[in-house]
Amino acid sequence: MRGLLAKKLKFHLPIAFALSIVVAAAFKYTVTEPRKQAYADFYKQYDAMKEFNAMKEAGIFESVRPSGE
Amino acid sequence: MFSAVVRLSASGVRALARTRPGYTAPLACRCYSHAKAETDEEFDARWVTYFSKPDIDAWELRKGMNTLIGYDLVPEPKILDSALRACRRLNDLASAIRILEAVKDKSGPHKEIYPYVIQELQPTLKELGISTPEELGIDKV
Repeated sequence: MRGLLAKKLKFHLPIAFALSIVVAAAFKYTVTEPRKQAYADFYKQYDAMKEFNAMKEAGIFESVRPSGE
Repeated sequence: MFSAVVRLSASGVRALARTRPGYTAPLACRCYSHAKAETDEEFDARWVTYFSKPDIDAWELRKGMNTLIGYDLVPEPKILDSALRACRRLNDLASAIRILEAVKDKSGPHKEIYPYVIQELQPTLKELGISTPEELGIDKV
């Protein structure tokens, strides 16, 4: 009748730690890494000037007007 | 609970297979202390003596029980017997029944401990006229 909690912990604590690490690893490799890759892929071929000109022509800026005006 | 974890990791890292009989005392289980570790029997005897004090007062009873319940163990029937007799000396039936409820709670998922303890305590319960929570119907919500 002694050490019942200790016995339980000795069994469950390693499992708890292992499971936490597995879940964290799973999240990292199924969510965060694909996200980072998606960003990287997007910006690899990103042309800032092209996007700027598209925005300029759309007329959203105040400091520079579309080429038409 | 953290002391249970510390004890575990300290002793577990050493030798998981080493089984020292009766060495899972809740206190004095540190690997580096020079003090002699208290055996289970000494622990039990100490607590039986604590509750056997003839002029124990209500505070000491409550303090003793709260401390005892804080340990990672279900108190042995002989300790509980001593505590119940202390309740009798203090005319405290409520605490006596509460002690029985505490034993059930401490057993946790091990459902066979409480019936065993009650069985061991039957003579004492009968002698002191203590009803169990089940007999009073207060064990169900």
